[in-house]
Amino acid sequence: MPGSTGNGIPMKNKIKVFRAMNDLTQDNLAHAIGVNRQTILAIEKGKYVPSLDLAFKIARYFSVNIEEVFIYDDEIPAEPAK
Amino acid sequence: MKKNTFYLLIGCIAIALVCIFWESDEMHAPLLIMGAFIAAVALIIFARSKVTDLIQDERDTRITEQAMTRTMQVFWVVFCAFSIGAVVQMLQFPTFPRPPPGQHPVTLLSPRMMGFVQLGFLCLMIFLYVGFRIYYARKYGEWDTDEE
Repeated sequence: MPGSTGNGIPMKNKIKVFRAMNDLTQDNLAHAIGVNRQTILAIEKGKYVPSLDLAFKIARYFSVNIEEVFIYDDEIPAEPAK
Repeated sequence: MKKNTFYLLIGCIAIALVCIFWESDEMHAPLLIMGAFIAAVALIIFARSKVTDLIQDERDTRITEQAMTRTMQVFWVVFCAFSIGAVVQMLQFPTFPRPPPGQHPVTLLSPRMMGFVQLGFLCLMIFLYVGFRIYYARKYGEWDTDEE
């Protein structure tokens, strides 16, 4: 599960886990929510923090609460913004 | 319209613009190339809106925004420095006392060269933008791969 992101926001996510549970590829998920596969990959790897809109879309797609997919981790030291 | 068709169209437009530039120079008609350039950009924007298999999501938008912001931050400093230098140079004309005959005051840039300077700045902007875009695309995992 990815830790602190390139945006300096301490965020983890469980997209990969939910994808596996729902037997989805990154491409399937990307098409379903209208983004590029590379965006899903970047989110999973913690290189990109999605907007609230996209985060809700992902959570709703898996029919779970947003907190179950995205975890705001205060204990991860935030990277200084570049 | 498919993505590859769009890229092909851009190539054709670029070639057409080079030809028009040549013709414009031959005919001494700068308005021709100016009009053609604006029309070409309008055509590209229109064609891009018709591309069906090109998804621009929020990450792409963010990369573009960041790259553009950084480009402008660097560019305005360079442009401002140049403009201040140009103003200082302009304020020195006419110089008194006049230089001795045969000796010309040092000019950094003649007004006739402004077109080239502007093109130079445009090239600088393009290079900066491409560089920053590559940097931010890499930062946001554009070329990352995984097991899938």
